[in-house]
Amino acid sequence: MIELLFALSIGTLFGIGVFQLLRRDLIKAAIGFAILFSAINLFFVAVGAFEGEFAPYVSNVEAGRQTSDPLIQALILTAIVVSFGSFSLLLGFVNIISRRYDTIDSDDTNRLKH
Amino acid sequence: MENNHLLLGALVTPLIGAIVALVFARSNRAQRSIGVLAGLIAWVFSTALLVQVHSSGIQTYALGNWRPPYGIVLVADTFGALFAFMVTSIMIGGLVYTFHSRDKCMTYPAFMPLFLLMEVGLIGAMLTGDLFTLFVFMELMVLASVSLTAISDDQYGLEAALKYILISSMGTLFLLLGIAAMYATFGTLNMAEIAQTLLTGERPFLAPASAIMLLCAFLLKSAVFPFHFWQPDFHTTAPTPISAMLSSIVVKVGVYGIIRLVTLLFIEEAPLLERWLSTLGIIGIVFGSLGALRTYNAKRMLAYSTFAQIGFILVGIGWGERLALIGAIVYAFNHAFIKSSLLMLVGVVSSYTTTKTANFADISGIGRKLPSAVGWLVLIGGLSLAGMPPLNGFISKLALIQGGVDRGDWQNLIIMVAAGILTVIYMIRAWQRIFQQNPLPDTAGAKNEGDSLFAPFLLVCVCLLLGTVLAEPLIQLIIETVRQLGDPRVYISAVNLPM
Repeated sequence: MIELLFALSIGTLFGIGVFQLLRRDLIKAAIGFAILFSAINLFFVAVGAFEGEFAPYVSNVEAGRQTSDPLIQALILTAIVVSFGSFSLLLGFVNIISRRYDTIDSDDTNRLKH
Repeated sequence: MENNHLLLGALVTPLIGAIVALVFARSNRAQRSIGVLAGLIAWVFSTALLVQVHSSGIQTYALGNWRPPYGIVLVADTFGALFAFMVTSIMIGGLVYTFHSRDKCMTYPAFMPLFLLMEVGLIGAMLTGDLFTLFVFMELMVLASVSLTAISDDQYGLEAALKYILISSMGTLFLLLGIAAMYATFGTLNMAEIAQTLLTGERPFLAPASAIMLLCAFLLKSAVFPFHFWQPDFHTTAPTPISAMLSSIVVKVGVYGIIRLVTLLFIEEAPLLERWLSTLGIIGIVFGSLGALRTYNAKRMLAYSTFAQIGFILVGIGWGERLALIGAIVYAFNHAFIKSSLLMLVGVVSSYTTTKTANFADISGIGRKLPSAVGWLVLIGGLSLAGMPPLNGFISKLALIQGGVDRGDWQNLIIMVAAGILTVIYMIRAWQRIFQQNPLPDTAGAKNEGDSLFAPFLLVCVCLLLGTVLAEPLIQLIIETVRQLGDPRVYISAVNLPM
């Protein structure tokens, strides 16, 4: 049941993210990027979170019972840090663009096209 | 498994340099000296590493002494060490150029730390033996280069940076998705362990899908055909030393990843992937060469030319045979030196204009007011790019075409030779416009001083050496590299996984 729920939410988030990323509004595109990254982080969770019965830090696990995968959590933490860095840089760029071009419409920020 | 500290040294020196440079944020001169010093030390480490890998086989370093597959492991085989050596050598050129440059953006306190972080990302991506660490280093490199372009003196730098960060983030997302799929199927991210599983012929459910996702992410980093459209803007608007690095070594990260993918991980699927690679490469060659012919800006011309040259490398990889792979790696190595020196030379030329532009309309005829050495260096670099003896461009074209003749792929060979002729045409035409023409009457006036010629001079000298004295040792080294790449068991056994 929980797998189905995860699959559905990852799919929905991915759809929303791609749709937002393709918007003309640069802020919406940036938010779409953050949503996409959450979708992938959820995918990472789904990869290994449901195997095992104990949190990885529990030390007195009875024989024959499994702890869940600690690597997944380390990977997601790193991925969140990286995505947060890119996202804030992206928002910073949009902020400066909005002041320099007086618009956040990506169709109007195309002065590179000569 | 012995821990070889040279690996860590090459990776950490620029990182320490970046931190120390941040401490000296007040003094621009101190920051620049720290940058050059860190670059030199990293170069010494990577050279020593290359020598050691050459003499005594693959070197590894288990970070924090956590044994693979549990810990992150740095691996330097000849291929990785050679590319890391290329990166550090060219970075020295970029750092020395920055040392003498007058651009405003290089006086910002963040410039040098970001530049050094870009180097960390590049070296790390080439020395890591772990897929997730590869992702982290690639992202570090992208974020550093994007920030550097956004603060460029060129007023369009920010727009190009925004464009690139959106596109590159998509690439990064798919890389991460591919890595997650890899982890779901193999339960590990250690490249040697994945390769070991794949070598047994076992093909888990998600493996082909993740191969495609990784390939797309690498193609995006190298600006290959369907993902190329950001590249000319981004490479043109970046500050001169950054654009020289972007167009020479940053695009090689993708090439590195693709070669790893087809020689270490997905060897059985390689023929399928390679057919795609040569098609995309040929498209890149044709459009890149034609784009370079008709563009209005000298830097942009070189950016389009990079697009074409990456196509040459991909066709070499796509031929898939040992000789062609040798050609592709020689080509990638030499192209880095040629392209970085040429972009710096164009940067020197444009630094003499009042608006610091490289538009042909503004730099036509400006060469008559410049030191005559600039003209000679641009001519040598251009001829090297076009593949004239006795320069290193000739060696790389020769090695690649040898591979094609061996394969008997005449259609693609004809297109490649035609593109080579186009290269001669656009390089010579640009040279004539800059150095032979009379200045147009409405041209913006030339200044009396510009950036120093020292860094591009060094790189052109390396091009000359690589074409003559060093050609034989380089080819020997790359033959050994390809022999090592031909057998993934060497790589796997060096990482020394527990059975």
